[in-house]
Amino acid sequence: MTSVPADKHQRSADRVLPALAVSGEGDHIALAGDLGLATLADAASALTNWSRRRSSRSLDLSGLGNLDTPGALFLCGLRDKEVKLTAVRAEHRALLELVCGLDLKPLPKAESVPRWRQLVIQLGKGADDAWHDAIAIITFVGRAASWTVNALLHPGCLRPAAISRHVAQTGIQALPIIGLMAVMIAVVIGYQGVAQLRPFGGEDFTINLVAVSVLREMGVLITAIMVAGRSGSAFTAEIGVMMAREEVDALTVMGIEPMQVLVVPRVIALVITLPLLTFFADLMGLLGGAAIAQSLLDVSPTQSRARRPQVIDGSDLFVGLVKAPVFAFFIAVIGCMHGLRVGGSAESVGKETTRAVVKSIFMVIVLDAFFSILFEKVGL
Amino acid sequence: MNARAHPEAILCARGIVNKFGAQVIHDGLDLEVARGEIIGIAGRSGSGKSVLLKTLVGLRQPDAGDVLLNGKAVRSLGATEKAAQIGVLFQQGALFSSLSVAQNVMLPMREHTALQEKEQERIAAMKLALAGLPADSGIKYPSALSGGMVKRAALARALALDPKILFLDEPTADLDPIAASGIDALILQLNHSLGVTVVIVTHDLTTLFSVCGRIAVLVDRKITVGTAEELMKSDHPWMHEFFRGPRAQAAMKARKTSHGK
Repeated sequence: MTSVPADKHQRSADRVLPALAVSGEGDHIALAGDLGLATLADAASALTNWSRRRSSRSLDLSGLGNLDTPGALFLCGLRDKEVKLTAVRAEHRALLELVCGLDLKPLPKAESVPRWRQLVIQLGKGADDAWHDAIAIITFVGRAASWTVNALLHPGCLRPAAISRHVAQTGIQALPIIGLMAVMIAVVIGYQGVAQLRPFGGEDFTINLVAVSVLREMGVLITAIMVAGRSGSAFTAEIGVMMAREEVDALTVMGIEPMQVLVVPRVIALVITLPLLTFFADLMGLLGGAAIAQSLLDVSPTQSRARRPQVIDGSDLFVGLVKAPVFAFFIAVIGCMHGLRVGGSAESVGKETTRAVVKSIFMVIVLDAFFSILFEKVGL
Repeated sequence: MNARAHPEAILCARGIVNKFGAQVIHDGLDLEVARGEIIGIAGRSGSGKSVLLKTLVGLRQPDAGDVLLNGKAVRSLGATEKAAQIGVLFQQGALFSSLSVAQNVMLPMREHTALQEKEQERIAAMKLALAGLPADSGIKYPSALSGGMVKRAALARALALDPKILFLDEPTADLDPIAASGIDALILQLNHSLGVTVVIVTHDLTTLFSVCGRIAVLVDRKITVGTAEELMKSDHPWMHEFFRGPRAQAAMKARKTSHGK
């Protein structure tokens, strides 16, 4: 048989790669060189057919240099096929004994399920999860509401320091981004309005369009979505890390109710913050609308302001602002709920944070739809 | 001891200096690890054991000095060469949570060898058995493993490419005594039959006394190396306390009884 280089493709002049030489004829063969990960494929291709012979065969290992565990595993495989390993060097014997002595079973295969069944299983699981989720949300919303009301009725239980910290984090620090987004949304609506209304000669109504849509819908919706992404996720991550490090358990053991110290301050803080942020977004949106009126319609900011009382009234502002505390309550509760669901591992923090953000934005939009129907019915 | 049989150093750190801002962690530290030996690195909390380990495996560039593995700077080694030379067991295991245990063990093989998938699976099963894990743990995910099994699985992954030198960061921390003894025995067995050099960072006195041939103690930003008996004679106050304290006495006694058998 011929000598086999270890790796034909990577062979370079300056580096000596491990090589395996197979010599001898018939039933008695000798191995020389290194038998390891790098030369395993060559050894297998050279010896597999040979090892299937029915005669009594022997493999001389006196010339073998380095032997690693995959190499030993290969030799053990040969030994199981009744190949005699002869002239085993002392330094290889311990390794061979160890590897051959292992109770080797093939890795079990994970059960494979046909795709259509997977689909059905996922559908069923999804429905079951959604059902349990709905119950969990309702339960948690109830608990959070009762703890919040309890705290409001007994002001001694309120934690002003925690509340003010959360107001600062969720409110004051969010001002720049909320303001910018409100201006941008006004610009977007303004451009669309001018383009759509110009053919009818009604581009002046763009001012009404921007003012009404910002006050009634866009201001509060954009703010709530931003806060859900920014603060809802922060609530989940903060509480989640505390869960993962058993800090929440420590609170419970000390007789401090996590709902009271972790959830209630966050809920109250966000219920304070979100209406204020919404009001700020409304102002910035009107400012953006005025800027658009100036640049596209040549209506000066003073004229815009003069027209405003005819266009909008207190009910528009009210319709927008009244939704904010409700959105805030649900964003905070969903964020805290997912935080408290975190298990012991770090990856579950990430998973729950994603879920919290998706669920709270979904909730905000569903509630907004309900509000639209409600205000339509009561004629606001 | 294997160390005497192969006096040549596999790992050599010279003049290592590590600083965090103004705080000097290591100040001109030297360490030689002989081929085939088991050496323990001990020291008080915050003495820079983990920083030293990171420096030795090339994850951290020291502020001065160099680390040579087989005479070559460890940070200049190519990815494949490094993977074939060095295996690291991280303190928390660092198993990839998105992969099953078997896939974790197969990952280095998939990246660095041209072996067939089937062959990789056979080798992975062998490594798992070598690390003392049952075959059915291969399809489990790390989150389903106990602390001791995580260490064993991580050890199987560290052994995936048959490294020449194995770094173990606190291999017995957070384990119950039975699991810890199992890991100790496993380290000895691997060192004996695979001839792998082992560097253990540990607080565990039992591991230091019963597994390690030599102990390197990090004190005063330098390192002192010796056998347990030699270090016991030191008059340095911290070392005196460490090696003569009640826990050390108990561990030493246990070692003597187990050696006496």
